[in-house]
Amino acid sequence: MAQRLPRLGKWAQSFADSVDRIGGQAQFYARTVISIGDAVTRYTAELIRLIAQMSLGTGALVMIGGTTAIVGFLTLSTGALVAVQGYNQFSQVGVEALIGFASAFFNVRLIAPLTAGVAMAATIGAGATAQIGAMRISEEIDALEVMGIRSVAYLASTRVAAGVVVVIPVYCVAVMASFFAARFGTTVYYGQSSGVYDHYFYTFLSTTDLLWSFVLALVMAVVIMLVHTYYGYTASGGPAGVGEAVGRAVRTSMITASVVVLFVSLAIYGQTGHFNLAG
Amino acid sequence: MVSTVSVAKPFRGLGGFVGMALDTFVCMFQRPFAWREYLLQTWFVARVSLVLTLMLSIPFTVLTVFTFNVLLVEFGAADFSGTGASLGTVNQTGPIVTVLVVAGAGATAMCADLGARTIREELDALRVMGVNPIQSLVVPRVLAATTVALLLSSLVILVGLAGGFVFSVYFQHVTPGAFVAGMTLITGLSDVVIALIKATLFGLTAGLIACYMGTSVGGGPAGVGNAVNETVVFSFVALFVINVIVTAVGFQVTP
Repeated sequence: MAQRLPRLGKWAQSFADSVDRIGGQAQFYARTVISIGDAVTRYTAELIRLIAQMSLGTGALVMIGGTTAIVGFLTLSTGALVAVQGYNQFSQVGVEALIGFASAFFNVRLIAPLTAGVAMAATIGAGATAQIGAMRISEEIDALEVMGIRSVAYLASTRVAAGVVVVIPVYCVAVMASFFAARFGTTVYYGQSSGVYDHYFYTFLSTTDLLWSFVLALVMAVVIMLVHTYYGYTASGGPAGVGEAVGRAVRTSMITASVVVLFVSLAIYGQTGHFNLAG
Repeated sequence: MVSTVSVAKPFRGLGGFVGMALDTFVCMFQRPFAWREYLLQTWFVARVSLVLTLMLSIPFTVLTVFTFNVLLVEFGAADFSGTGASLGTVNQTGPIVTVLVVAGAGATAMCADLGARTIREELDALRVMGVNPIQSLVVPRVLAATTVALLLSSLVILVGLAGGFVFSVYFQHVTPGAFVAGMTLITGLSDVVIALIKATLFGLTAGLIACYMGTSVGGGPAGVGNAVNETVVFSFVALFVINVIVTAVGFQVTP
């Protein structure tokens, strides 16, 4: 069959390979999630070390303040965007007083979760792929298995658990940074009175929305860490292969995270949007 | 001694980056231009970025349109959802998705490729043979990233608008005619031009960062992986800042 119809055979082979890959990924994710309990009870020291490392970052990233600073900086810039775009657009229709509302509404529901997700994929996620990938190609993972340590629990599950822990303070910083930047840009740069801004901001800031946006961040952290540990765990092809694995992991996790955010927010806010202008 | 080295390290990196960027700009105007490498790299970056473009711009726009429509339905102005969709897509979602695609896909792939060449000492071999790696490898890559970013941003905007249209019309029951009529209400030529300028700057910056990180890879099996990681982080930071600045300047320049 493969000899008579070479192109069809090759196509079938690559199709079978990709199905295989999806199955392998699903299996890895299931094993990682199941082993989280193991990771917390047996590898507590490693878990705590990873939490410290993830929140502050490794290598050259420590120089510019680690993960927390980078996530905060990125949301600071998107918060400033709300001020710039919103103020100019709203003043065209003469409702620039409502910019506080835009900050409370769009930052919480849309901008802060998406930006924080992307920033986490780039910092914590890509770092995890690079670390685990380097361990895989220098055969350290095989050495772990030989020593009787469960490599999935020790490397992947601990990182997923650490990601869930780290995302909470990091996301707090992210939300605060986006609020601060929007307020600073509007009141200081564009000169709106801070009383007007605060009035509309606090009127439309909803605690429920804020809690749901934390749920979004948590879900994203789990998905991002799963994808990134998988690509690191299956890296091959020497140091160059690790680089490629990091790139591929960033691409995949950004797609997965944004699709997950889309569906989770549709599920949370539903068709009506759970929003009352009247308060 | 150790402390001065660690303090000076980020500045050395910054200085190296500026130096390479200047070298690249000078080499851009020197003959011979590496056409073959330029075309190959353009195709390479485009191939890597295409799937990500489609997969990212649809959820981002649908999410924006959904959030806008919640607001507009509450005001009783659902017919203007086309206005919100085009405003969000052309002014912000489009450029942000372009940032994510250019930095997350193009720059990472480029840095991984260059980093692999660096640790195999191919760049040193080129230098020994009297070939300037900046002219033969970096310039075509930076220009390829710029070209692809410019082309991708239009694709992102088109895909985003189409996604917003389908979502608004078929899921939120907005009249298609009203959606299309509202699209050009606020958004005009100047917004599109600014979006394209942003995309060009994104491509240029991300290309330069990826090439600098790729050519300065060092040390052990984790080297290339770390370089790719740093490329993503630094290019995200740089491109988000550029986005804010160009948006603010754009509003000052256009009436």
